[in-house]
Order: sequence, then C-alpha cells, then structure tokens
Amino acid sequence: MSAFRLKKEHYGYLFIAPFFIAFLIFGLYPLYNTFALSFTDMTMMNSSSAKFIGLKNFTRLFADDVFMKAVRNTWLLWTLNFIPQIGVAVLLSVWFTNIRLKIKGVGIWRALFFLPNLLMPAVVASLFYALFSFYGPVNQFMVRAGFLPQAIHYLQDAAIARGLVIFIQWWTWFGQTVIIVMAGMTAIPVTLYEAAMVDGATASQMFNRITLPLLKPILIYIFVTSLVGGMQMFDIPFLLTDGRGSPSSSIMTNNILMYMKFASAKGHIGAASSVGVAVFIMTCVCALAIFYFMRERDK
Amino acid sequence: MNERFYKFNTVLMRVGVYVVLVVILTVTIAPIWLLMVNATRSTTEIQQGLSFFPSVHLLENYKILLSKGLNLPRGFANSLFVAAASTAITVYFSMLTAYGLVVYEFKARQTVSNFIVVLVLIPTQLSIVGFYQYMSRLGLTDNYASLILPLIANASGVFFCKQYLESMMIQDLIDAARIDGASELAIFHLIMMPLALPGAATLGIFAFVTSWNNFFNAFILITSINKYTLPMLVQTLRGDVYRTEYGAIYLGLAITIAPILVIYAIFSRYIVSGIAMGAVKE
Repeated sequence: MSAFRLKKEHYGYLFIAPFFIAFLIFGLYPLYNTFALSFTDMTMMNSSSAKFIGLKNFTRLFADDVFMKAVRNTWLLWTLNFIPQIGVAVLLSVWFTNIRLKIKGVGIWRALFFLPNLLMPAVVASLFYALFSFYGPVNQFMVRAGFLPQAIHYLQDAAIARGLVIFIQWWTWFGQTVIIVMAGMTAIPVTLYEAAMVDGATASQMFNRITLPLLKPILIYIFVTSLVGGMQMFDIPFLLTDGRGSPSSSIMTNNILMYMKFASAKGHIGAASSVGVAVFIMTCVCALAIFYFMRERDK
Repeated sequence: MNERFYKFNTVLMRVGVYVVLVVILTVTIAPIWLLMVNATRSTTEIQQGLSFFPSVHLLENYKILLSKGLNLPRGFANSLFVAAASTAITVYFSMLTAYGLVVYEFKARQTVSNFIVVLVLIPTQLSIVGFYQYMSRLGLTDNYASLILPLIANASGVFFCKQYLESMMIQDLIDAARIDGASELAIFHLIMMPLALPGAATLGIFAFVTSWNNFFNAFILITSINKYTLPMLVQTLRGDVYRTEYGAIYLGLAITIAPILVIYAIFSRYIVSGIAMGAVKE
C-alpha cells in the first residue's frame, strides 16, 4: 500500500505546478522588476534609454519631506484605526461568548457589523464624501440640531479629514476582527474556565490568565495582516479628497505618493518603484519584528 | 440576597451591553441606509433635509444618471465579466494546488505549505509599478488578462482550500477510486471537486467580492474608458457633470453595491464562517 502511494507521490508537483509558474510570472518577477527599476531613472518617456543610477532614488526619497510625511501619515492612520478596532473586537467577543450574559442573536449582530467590509471602497469613499460635503446630510443635521452654529467644510480641515479616514477604516474592519477573535475564543476549551471557576478565579483573572494567552497567536495574526494592509492603504484616502491627500497632504499615504510619482506628467517609474521598495522593506521588517518579539518564549 | 444581587447585576449588565450594541449597529448601518434612502429621493428633497425614509424618485434618478453619458450598464457588464473569470480561476487553481499539498506526501510538501503562508502576508500592491512596466512590455496593459491571470497563484485562496480539504478526510475515497483504476486528475475533478463544493462556493464568494471591489489594480492597468470596471466609473460620478444631481449620484453608488448586498443577504452564514476558517489554524 505504501509503495502504491509512493509511486503517486510525484503527482503532488504536478498539481502545484500551475501555481508556481503563475507565481514566478505574475508575483516574483514583478517584485524583482520593481527592485530593479528602483535603481534606474526610468520614466514613461525614456524607457529604452533609462540608466542605472544606484541608490540615487533612495537618497532623494529619504531627503524628501513629502515621503517622510507620507510614511508618518500612513503609520498614524493605521495605528489610530487599529487600536479601537482590536479593542472593540475583543470587548464584543467577550460579550458575545459570555455564558452569563447570554446575548441573543449573536450571529445577526456579527453579520451586520461585518457588512461594511464587503462594500466597494470606491463607493464608501464617495459616500462619505457626499455625506460630509458642505451641503450634505451631516451639515444639515449638525446645524439644525444646534451642534454647529453654521455649516463647515469638513474635508478642508486636516484633522477632520484624518479622523474621517481613521473612522472609515475602523468601520470597514472591526466586524471582521470580531469574527476572527470570536472564532479564537470559542476554540478555547470550556474545561479550562470550569477548572478556574472551581479554584475561585474572578472573571478578569480568567480573561488575563486563560483567554489572552491562548488568543495570542490569533492576535498576532490580526496585528500582522492589519499592518501589512494598513501600510498599503490607498482607496479611501485617495478617493475621499482630490487624490493627492488633501487637505495639506494630511491623508497622503505611502501608496498615494507612489501613485503620484507613477502618474506624474513624466511618469517617474524609477522613483515610484523606489517608494514601493522602501515601503515593502519597512513592512516586511516590521512584520518580522512582531513575530520575533511576540513569539512564545519556552523556558 | 447575594443570589438576587448577582441576578440583578447580570440584568443590568445585559441592558448596558445591548445599548452599546445598538449604538455600534447604528453607526455601522446608518451610512449604508442613508445611501439607499437618498437613492430614492429627488435632489430637492435631499437638499431640504435629512431623512431616513425612502421616497418615490428612484426612476427619475435613474434617468438622470444615464442621461449624462455615464455608461453604467457597460461598467456593470465589465465588472461582472472580470469578477466571474477571477472567481473561476481562483477557485479552480486554489483547489488544485491545495489538493496537491493535502493528498500527496512529496518531499517539499511542508516547505511549500509554509511558503504559501508567508506569501499570504507579502504586501503585493507595492510591486505594482514593476508589474505595470512588465505588463506593458508584454502588451497586456489595458487588458483584463493582467487582472485575472495572476489569480492562478492566489496564496490566500490556497490557504483557505487547504484548511477546508484537511477537514474533509478524503483519503479513503481517493484510495478506493485508485483501486477502481481512476487517474489522479480524474479523482480530483470527478470525486474531490463535487465533494468540496461548499468550500469552493465560500471561496468563490470571497473571490467575487474582492474582484468586484478591486480599484487599485484596475485603476493602474486599465486605461480605455469602455473597459472601465465599476469602481473606476464610480469616480466619474463626482465630476462636474453630476455636480448637483445628488439623487442620481446616490443611486449610482447604490446600484454599484446592490449585487454585493444581495449576495450577502443570501450567503452571510458562509461568508462569516469562511472568515473564521481562513484565520483559525489547527
């Protein structure tokens, strides 16, 4: 029997071959190409006569305040949406799985909280643009209810624009985080809690000593996937205002800057690649650091 | 006494929890509800004030929407084509790859599986410039192939299918089919695929939604307006032509997300369990 299976073994390579061929063509080579282009001065105009210029794109990039601002913005927008996202998700998951509270319709709550995640970001950005426009519903409500003396231009205020991007990102992702955290919590054996209760543990002790440690792998997974996604934030900040991160570059992210260099009049392919490469390296280093510092330390 | 206090406390907490849940639900749903409602209200009504109740101007808004030269039906057809093709490619090749990894005990199996987990986390959008330049050398820019073919190597799809197939326990069936003389490819196509249909459907929903909503790649790679997908067309709603036609703008946005809302209304159970399964290992 085992000899029979051994003969079939090589079929495994056959089945995974299409994946790896497509990965080489559409995944790995473009990545290599981006690195290669980042060392050249290629534009849309000179693509045949582009020269190798070493690290010049990178030295320019790191001397450029706009790039540093884009990096800072991206971190700020991601961090300020991630903290409430994970906080609300853990809180709701604790409530939804609590035996004493017996919350009704958990499936329905969860499904509704997740709904924004499925909506097209292009539509969501346009929707919030419309809701927060000068003559839009938010101003109508705020003025009539007496919260504001007169209508204001929300999207011309840097702090409000940032707040809105953060809110939209939270709104989009907290439902998914609830689902994942809850799945992690329900996977923890009930017997652990029963034993702790027999020993007279309080609810907060059980949360800190049982739930959190056993949830750690899931939390790291959420942390890393959110970070990787967050560093590539584009659709919402790009489409909410003018596509250049206005007002005063307050919501310009890494990818918006990369796009602006790419789509500039000359089409600076080399410079745009260097943004992609710099952010790629930054993201990978941070993701690895999270895995390294949060790994299980066996004594 | 203590028992009664405990019970009272629980009831109080429960009320508090429900209040918070309703507040969060309002924040979650209100923008979407306003979008749907405003799609049925005339521009005058929208300008007069906020309302959470639908009106009767849906058809009127639709006529205005189409009268300004926006080819929404075309965008809809384009998006549908790209999403359907992306779904088929993702589901078929993810299942194929995952099946190879689950069923055959070849040497590199563990390494390849780990590698795919790493691939899930690679920030692929950051290599878009290299991808674009490469596609333009191949003459594949402004071509849907550049959006669809890369999905043959969809790491998160493979990861999902692997989780699904591992939970299915199909080895006995495969062995039985081999004894009956079925070829390896026939076993995959005729025995495994029908059995894995629920998993394939769940992945299919995700693949469809992802493609339907995808803006960034299409925005970079597709240039001719008659090939624009919906997320790209939606942008033109904010241009000068529609400046004050609020009703029509809301309707355009609403039509764009309507298919997703219908899909979610029918399949929400699969989608929620699919998310949980894609993330929780072991």
